Parts: sequence; C-alpha cells; structure tokens
Amino acid sequence: MTGYIIRRLIAVPFMLIGISFILFMLIYIRPGSAAFISIGSAMSDPANIERFEERFGLNDPWYEQYGKWLGNALTGDFGVTLRTPHQPVADRLADHIGNTLQIGFITIIMAAIFGISVGVLSAVRRNSILDYIFRGVTIAGISVPNFWVAILVVSLPARWWNWTPLATDWVSFTDDPFRNLSIIIWPAMILALASAAGTARLVRTSMLEVFYSDYVRTARSKGLREGRVIWSHVFRNSLIPVVTLIGLQTGAVLGGVVIAELIFGIPGLGTLTLGAVIAQDYPLVLSSLMLFAFVFVVVTLIVDVLYTVIDPRIRY
Amino acid sequence: MSLEQEMALEYAIPPRQRFNPLRWARREPFGAFGLVLIILVSIGAGAAPLLYTTDPQQFGAGAPLAGPCINCSSSDMDHLAYREGVEWREHRLFGTTPRGRDLWSRVLYGGRVSLKVGVATVLIGTMAGTVIALLAAYAGGVVDFAVGRLADMIIAIPGILLALTLHTAIGQDLPDLPGLSRQELTLVLAISAFFMPGTYRIMRGMVLELRESQYVEAAQVVGASSLRIMWRHITPNMFGLMIVITSISLPAAILVEASLSFLGLGVEPGTPSWGADLSGDSQKFFTQGWWLAIFPGLALSMTVFGFNIFGDSLRDTLDPRLRGRI
Repeated sequence: MTGYIIRRLIAVPFMLIGISFILFMLIYIRPGSAAFISIGSAMSDPANIERFEERFGLNDPWYEQYGKWLGNALTGDFGVTLRTPHQPVADRLADHIGNTLQIGFITIIMAAIFGISVGVLSAVRRNSILDYIFRGVTIAGISVPNFWVAILVVSLPARWWNWTPLATDWVSFTDDPFRNLSIIIWPAMILALASAAGTARLVRTSMLEVFYSDYVRTARSKGLREGRVIWSHVFRNSLIPVVTLIGLQTGAVLGGVVIAELIFGIPGLGTLTLGAVIAQDYPLVLSSLMLFAFVFVVVTLIVDVLYTVIDPRIRY
Repeated sequence: MSLEQEMALEYAIPPRQRFNPLRWARREPFGAFGLVLIILVSIGAGAAPLLYTTDPQQFGAGAPLAGPCINCSSSDMDHLAYREGVEWREHRLFGTTPRGRDLWSRVLYGGRVSLKVGVATVLIGTMAGTVIALLAAYAGGVVDFAVGRLADMIIAIPGILLALTLHTAIGQDLPDLPGLSRQELTLVLAISAFFMPGTYRIMRGMVLELRESQYVEAAQVVGASSLRIMWRHITPNMFGLMIVITSISLPAAILVEASLSFLGLGVEPGTPSWGADLSGDSQKFFTQGWWLAIFPGLALSMTVFGFNIFGDSLRDTLDPRLRGRI
C-alpha cells in the first residue's frame, strides 16, 4: 500500500512534465505573432516587435523556449505575462486560484450530497412514481447545458424582480465570507446540477446491481433492519464506480467553472485563462492549464487511495 | 421419430426473432420517445430550407426584437414595406433578434451545425480511439504503455480548455471541405481529441478481453496473421460497443460544440448556431426579449435529451452488461 502510493507520487512529476510538453507544442504551433497581439497594433512598428520578441525569447527555437520554461518552472519561476504590466505569472495565478477552487469544492460537495441522496432514494423506491420523477429529472439534468441554465439564472430574475445573482460587486472570502458565499453559491449550484444528475444515475444503477445478490439476501434473512442492509451492504458495495465518477467529474467541473465564472463575472482562474488564450499570452496559458491538470492529477491520486478505504479487498 | 431427428430438434437454433419496432417501443418507452425527438430535430435541421420563414442571416428581415407571433402585421415603422404602404404580414414563430433576424429560421439552421459537428466529431473520435486501442493493445509492451500514459495526460486537461487551446492552435491552416467549413472542421478536430482518450480506454479493455478468447487462440493456432486476427476476429466483435459509445458520446459532443460556440470560438460570426445565438450580442437583450434566451437553449436541450435517452436504451438493448460502465 505505502509502496503503491510512493510509486504513484513518483509518477506525478513525470506526468506533469509530459502534459506541459503536449501543451507547449499545442501553444507553440498556433499561428499569429504573440508579440503583435500583446503589444497591440498601436505599436506595430517592426522594430518594436523585434525588441519584444527578443526580450521574451520568442525567436528562439522551440526546444530552447521549452527547455528554458521547464528549467525555470522546476525552480518555481513561471515567467512573466506577455501583456503589460509584465507581472509574474505565479502571482496572477495565486490571485485567481482561490475563487476557482472554492467554487469547484462547493460544487463537488453539493453534487455528491444531492447525487447520492437522489440515487439511493431512487434505487430503494425503484419503479415507484418517485423513481420515475427522479429518473426524468436526472436525464434532463445531464441534458440541459450548464451555460444555458446560468444565463437564464442571471437574466430572468433581472426581468422579473430587478435582481440578479451576477457578481457585480465581487468580494473575496477573507473580506466578507457571507457575501462571498451568497455570490458563489449560484454558479456552484448550477454546476452541481449536471454532476449530481450523473452521480444519481450511477448510484441507482450500481445499487440495483447489488440489490439482488446473495449476501444482501443473507443480510435480510439474518434479520438486519432494512436501513442497515441498505447502507452497510448495498450502498457500500456500490460505491466504487461512484467514487471513480466523482473523481472524473472533477475534470468536467473545472471545465464548467470556466464558463460559469465568465457568465457570473467572477475573477477566477477560468476568466484568467480564457483571456490569456484569446490574447495569446502563452506563459500564462501554459501555467494555468498546468495548474488545472495538477489539480486533476492530485484528485485522481486521492480517488485511487480511497478505493482501499471503501473496499478493503483492493490491495495494490 | 428417429434419434437424429430428435437431436436435430433439441439442438436446433431457434429461429431468429424479427426485430419489431412496436414491441421495442413498448419495452423501451424512454428510448422510443428519444427517437421521436431525434427524428423531429433531424427533420427540422434537414428540411430547414423548406421550413424557414426568412433568411436567417439577413438583418432587418423583421422588426428588431419583436415577440413571437403567427401571421401578424408588422408594427415597425422603419420597415421598408411599412414605409411603402404595402400591406405586409409575417410569421415570427420564435420572434426576432436585436438586429431583426428571424429566430425560428436561425434555430432551424443552427440545428444543422450542431448535428453535423456532433456526428462528425463522434465518428472521428470513436474510430480513431478504436483503431489506436486495437493497434496499441495488440502491439503491447512499450507502445501500449506509452499510448496509455498519453491518454492519461490528455484526460488530465479539462476538456473545454483542451478544445479551446486546440481550436486556437489549428484554426488557421485547415482547408474548407465540401459540406464542412474550416471553422466546423476545427471544431470537429478539437472536440474529437476530447473523446479519443476515453474511447481508447474502454476499447483497449475490450481488445485485451477478446484477445484471450478461444476463437482468437484457434485462429492463432491455424496460423492466421495478427492483421487478419485483428480485422476478421476482433474488430467485428467490437461493433456493438462502438455503436453504444457513439450514441452515448454524441449528446456530449453536441454540448461541447455549443459551449465552444457560446464562448465565441465556433462558427463564423453571423452563422446560425445554438451556442452562438445564446451569447454575445443577444445576451444583452435577454431581459427585453425572453424568446432570445429560451428557444435556442430549448432546441439544444431537447436534442441532447433525445440523444441521451435513446443512447441509454440502445445500450440496454444491445448490451445490458455495459450499464453503469459507460
């Protein structure tokens, strides 16, 4: 077990380096001069562009650029943004990551709670009216696009009650926790909708698979209360695929946060990355995508370790 | 009855039941409903040139920001017909956009982009994922390991952001194909990269399982080449899974396409597309015209919903063991 975790931990940096290489190549082959977009057409004097490209090493061959980036990144220096004022990329990321992680965290917790409760209820009362309603609602939940729900939530209340959950006056959690949460809860709820629906569907199917197994019949026939049969025998044994899904959903949630931040006007990693992609600010794009990938890799690692807690039969 | 006849009766393969659509519909009501939705959407998109009321790209085809109505006279004083004193009636089933484009026509034509990009994406993603899985699993060793790690890395990058980066990276130098513009091709390639690793993982598991089967072993014993085994013995057994994966990824692909268009990275500006019609210009006018926010989103949701429930029941019909796995 410890050996497995150590092996996985050793693999993480190699994987991140691999990801950074793929991303670098993607960004490197994109057409158009980063310098031109970054300093703007007002300064489109060829000499200026020349000087700009010289300064940020944009004229070097790709392997030199990548090597320099990687070497610096390994020592914790992620370079400066191409756009003025050339702030350190690390500072920009540090300013924005908190909000994104906060939304993502609340989303995943809410999705797990709602998804698991609905799924369990649906499985226990299978083929009842409640089950049919839940099944309809969950399929609708995974079918309705996040961004559509988000724009409806932003614009419809504005029409009806002259009120909108739009983050026009953004405050950080440390300044005013209550106000901050009252803003963040909206995008988190919308993102949680789709994830919860997916989780609920999987909980239902995987619980139904276990429901008719021999050990559940044994548990019932030895006189256990129904609640105990469901929680300790059925539910626990159906958790493995559910935990996998919740881990995988992290990726979808992180992607969804990008759009939710944009619609609700929240200064997070998503808005930062979108802006950077459009402005071709490649040091910023590369580092923030790496940050997303890093979060995902860590979550996957945690999920794999969790397997052994849920199911002691699994040993690595 | 002779012994032979008795044996023939006992071991006879029962006649294959003809597939009866009505019986299937009764057993899978959700799936049948999904199929109806899919057919409706396909007719809407396919027959858009017959069903549309006004050119979806034309500015001022109707009064700007006019609500939905059928066979109504225009009250727009600036309109050409009004100024010339011509009696003039129009259908605005879904209302008009802030620039006076007809939303009904745009929703019809928008379906074309979504379906085209969605289907092309899923075909490329599933095919490529399957072929790579087949080759890698069959080659084994270093190749299998390397491809597997590559898939892990691609999965670690959030899909939307991966598609976004790819889209800006490859956008400029692609050709226009017949029936698929450069922008649409870019979307297709960017989104299919998103589906390939997942398909690869599932397919690889399937290939490994099939490779251990007795009929593959038998083929090896009689001296069939690897290529022949892959083509004649393994690939045909993966078709069922391929169909299921295709039908389950299609709605997801349509959603990603709409999200990218919503972010302004989809089709050429002005081209009708459900995602693009919900963003940018029209977003500022949602409070004045509810139809702008409702109809493109409703069409999108209905399509994805239809494909989702149809895909689910297709999976249950073709291979119930996959339930909970895909």
